Amino acid sequence: MSRTETAGAPVDDAGGDEEFDPVGTLALIAVYFAILVIAWVYIYYIEFLGRDLVVVG
Amino acid sequence: MHIHAYEKIWLAFAIVLILLLLGSVTYGAVGPGVAMVADSEGQIDATALDEDERFAEPRVEQVGENHYAAYVVAYQFGFEPDPIVVPANSRVTLHVTSRDVIHGFEVVGTNANTMVVPGEVSEITVEVGEPQEYGLLCNEYCGAGHHAMEGKLHVVPREEFESSDGGESA
Repeated sequence: MSRTETAGAPVDDAGGDEEFDPVGTLALIAVYFAILVIAWVYIYYIEFLGRDLVVVG
Repeated sequence: MHIHAYEKIWLAFAIVLILLLLGSVTYGAVGPGVAMVADSEGQIDATALDEDERFAEPRVEQVGENHYAAYVVAYQFGFEPDPIVVPANSRVTLHVTSRDVIHGFEVVGTNANTMVVPGEVSEITVEVGEPQEYGLLCNEYCGAGHHAMEGKLHVVPREEFESSDGGESA
């Protein structure tokens, strides 16, 4: 029978999950974050504000 | 409640991202002065544009120091006046209406873009720079000739504008 990490972890140990460090997930979120920031800067500041005839009124 | 240290990090990322989005839109409004197409203009009778003092004779006229108003009528299938001639380095307010169906008014490759609805006047103000020729097109399907509905926006040197029709009607 297979056992998962969660199943094997003590239920009431408050510090127990500190041993479970999802560095892969953290790295993935950091990459998503970087992509979103770069895309937003490009779309808003370069592509939108950089074009001619910005509507000002 | 116990929150994992990594989870705190990505919650902070999410909050930073939201602040970044809100902050840049605020910057756009306050810095470069980006505005929306307002509904400040009243309604007009689309079937009687020839009785409207602004649209009976579509034109460009001076309304202030370095501020020009262009009154434009969109129709199946074109824009009047064509070309719209405005002087370089000025502020131009475009008042656009339709005498038949819904059209679009897009200065190609720029942010000047609005819907044109019969009975309504779309008003957008832009600042034009150096002399240049822009294309104009309709981006709302308006009938069989939609694909051919286009116009021109000419930004010309000031001297040339003064000596043109646009200058005379100012």
